[in-house]
Amino acid sequence: MSRSRVWKNRAFEAAMLFAMLVAFGTLAVLLLDTLVTGWPQLDAQLFSDSPSTQPEEAGARPAILATLYLGLIVLLLSVPIGVLTAIYLEEYADRKRWWNRLIEVNIQNLAAVPSIVYGILGLAFIVRGIGIGRVVLAGGLILTLVVLPTVVVASREAIRAVPDSIGQGAFALGATKWQVVWRQVLPAAIPGMTTGSILALSRAVGETAPLIMVGAIVYVAFDPTLLGPYTALPVQIYNWTKQPDPTFQTLAAAGAIVLLAIVLSMNAVAIFLRNRYRKQW
Amino acid sequence: MAQMRATFQEELRELEQLLDVEADLVLRSLRAAVEALVTRDSELADEVIAFDDDIDDVYLRTHQAIELLLARQTPVAGDLRLVLAILHSNLHLERMGDLCTTIAKLTKLSADLPSDEVLLGAFREMGERGQEMIRVALEALHARDEELATSLIHLDELIDRSNRRVVSRLLELGPENLEWGLRAIVASRCLERVGDHAVDIGEQAAFLATGEFREFTDASHDPRPLG
Amino acid sequence: MESPQIDSTRIAQVSRGLERAEIERREKVFTVSDLAVSYGGKPALEDVTLDVHRNTVTAFIGPSGCGKSTFIRCFNRMNDLIPGAKVEGTVLYHGADLYGRDVDPVDVRRRIGMVFQKPNPFPKSIYDNVAFGPRVLSLKGSLAERVEKALRDAALWEEVKDRLKDGALGLSGGQQQRLCIARALAVEPDVILMDEPASALDPISTTRIEDLMHELKRDYTIVIVTHNMQQAARVADMTAFFSVVVAEDGSARRGVLVEYDTTAKIFTTPADQRTEDYVTGRFG
Repeated sequence: MSRSRVWKNRAFEAAMLFAMLVAFGTLAVLLLDTLVTGWPQLDAQLFSDSPSTQPEEAGARPAILATLYLGLIVLLLSVPIGVLTAIYLEEYADRKRWWNRLIEVNIQNLAAVPSIVYGILGLAFIVRGIGIGRVVLAGGLILTLVVLPTVVVASREAIRAVPDSIGQGAFALGATKWQVVWRQVLPAAIPGMTTGSILALSRAVGETAPLIMVGAIVYVAFDPTLLGPYTALPVQIYNWTKQPDPTFQTLAAAGAIVLLAIVLSMNAVAIFLRNRYRKQW
Repeated sequence: MAQMRATFQEELRELEQLLDVEADLVLRSLRAAVEALVTRDSELADEVIAFDDDIDDVYLRTHQAIELLLARQTPVAGDLRLVLAILHSNLHLERMGDLCTTIAKLTKLSADLPSDEVLLGAFREMGERGQEMIRVALEALHARDEELATSLIHLDELIDRSNRRVVSRLLELGPENLEWGLRAIVASRCLERVGDHAVDIGEQAAFLATGEFREFTDASHDPRPLG
Repeated sequence: MESPQIDSTRIAQVSRGLERAEIERREKVFTVSDLAVSYGGKPALEDVTLDVHRNTVTAFIGPSGCGKSTFIRCFNRMNDLIPGAKVEGTVLYHGADLYGRDVDPVDVRRRIGMVFQKPNPFPKSIYDNVAFGPRVLSLKGSLAERVEKALRDAALWEEVKDRLKDGALGLSGGQQQRLCIARALAVEPDVILMDEPASALDPISTTRIEDLMHELKRDYTIVIVTHNMQQAARVADMTAFFSVVVAEDGSARRGVLVEYDTTAKIFTTPADQRTEDYVTGRFG
């Protein structure tokens, strides 16, 4: 190898290393900073107490509960609807019909729409239009809409990944279309669908903008109910950062750690499931 | 490992058995032809001539079976040598059948001519020898026995001696028995040829056993006396 | 001196194989008349007429693109699953129109099973693979018995009887293909279609599958597609040779049936020069 080639090689490697350090380094610094800042306030009180004007007595319990409720609503709504939509689009829809082609093109677009747009639409049609008001259910519905395209896309990919030969084999035995989908395609696609759903869910849990739009009231000192006012953890964190008292900043950082923990553990579950079921192939 | 290609193995076995069927017919034909010759029985001779159709039938069927087996199963190695050995042996057996027919025809032509005890004795002996050689040849083939196959040379030697005895006897008898003598020579020659064909089948058996295709004795290197 | 125990019919059989007349005496399972198949308007196969008889192995041979796989898929209506596929002409199954108005393809596929070129076991246990067919068709009777019988008939039982709950994907290629055969047998079909069943397998597995076909044809009617004509020579009673016809301007290629006769005839004295050229390997 000539000397200039050797140097070019090394220069390229160095550039890549630098890029990686910038990316991960920045992330690591942010995480570390949050951890250090929020550590003092990371205690049981965070989980047991409601917010208060007194920072020493404040907790994020209602927010944490609401976030978990929202997560549950999103899970229960987006997964069935998303999966069934994906099944329809992949297995039953006639590709030649114009409306199916329209849906095809736009599913990806929907996933890219900024979530605040969903917030505005939710405000107009769900909070005011249907009239249920600024309640947990409304927040859950809007978040479902936000993540639904992602779930559909992930489920479609999972279904497409099932080899066509499996379906052919099942048909050749005299199975009906439904039996093939329900007994062969779906079971084989479940790992991929699970991963996709959980990733979508973890995104929903972290959404702030749409929830603010539909009025996750910033000060809630009581445990939320399905059809009652609420606030979510990201919103609570946002609120605390606006307070002048430095203890609230620490509380905000602590809240951020909790939120991170929730999201990271969901992702860990998704990765675990994906790896476990990958072996089957 | 379990036995595979069972159908093919079965077909090879049955092909080999077809040779036995043909050999059986040839043996019967030979016995009858010699019997007719020494007892001067024209009716028996007619039967032998008619019987040749049966031999030709098996010959034909064996050939068709070989053609089919080669086309369908593409045998190699030992299986291929077996099929080739059967191909040759099939022909030799059929020729033996034709020789018996010739003997029978000669019997009919010379039925009312005088005969000679010595000669008839020689014919009987050659007939016995010939039958024995056919049996040995087939056995050597089935058993893939090279030694048994080469032993046919000695049996053939005995037939050749009998043939020479016939010739010298005929010369003794003199010119008044010319017509019968000529016929007898041909009959003797036929019986000697039966022996040669049996040796040829023995060569096929040796080929099958060793993979080496050779003549047992070369004409140019034959230590045996002529005539 | 004893005569060997061979009767004349057996001699005839050994010498000539199964005679056409004897095959044609058997019941017709399929009667195909003037069949043509096209995909999206482009003709793939034209002008096919032949009969398939009970308890025989019928082979379709020919160069690639000659339509033999397309043809075999007509028998169990798998072409229905391909968008744009159109089947014209008649296919009668035991005298009834296979493509009749009130015929359910699902029912057809239960009676006419299929084994594919690349073994395609489901990602489930061995037991569940074989049990899938009976389960979706809600067949009566002991499932475990059905599974065992199917595996025995496919010559796989001894190898897997102690690990029925293990994943099917852990089996070797040859075993997987026999599993697919067992899967097809479990629903007790009438006919088994095999689309190049051994082309993805090693020679010993191939021989095993061929031996299996000899066994299976006692109870089933078998139709196979193979690009290996020696395989057709070894296993088939009747062989159909397909070839490709190219349009004058070289654009359209379609498959046609050239010759259909006993395997013995096709491989010893074929009637058509094209058949002779193909089986001797002179032309593809």
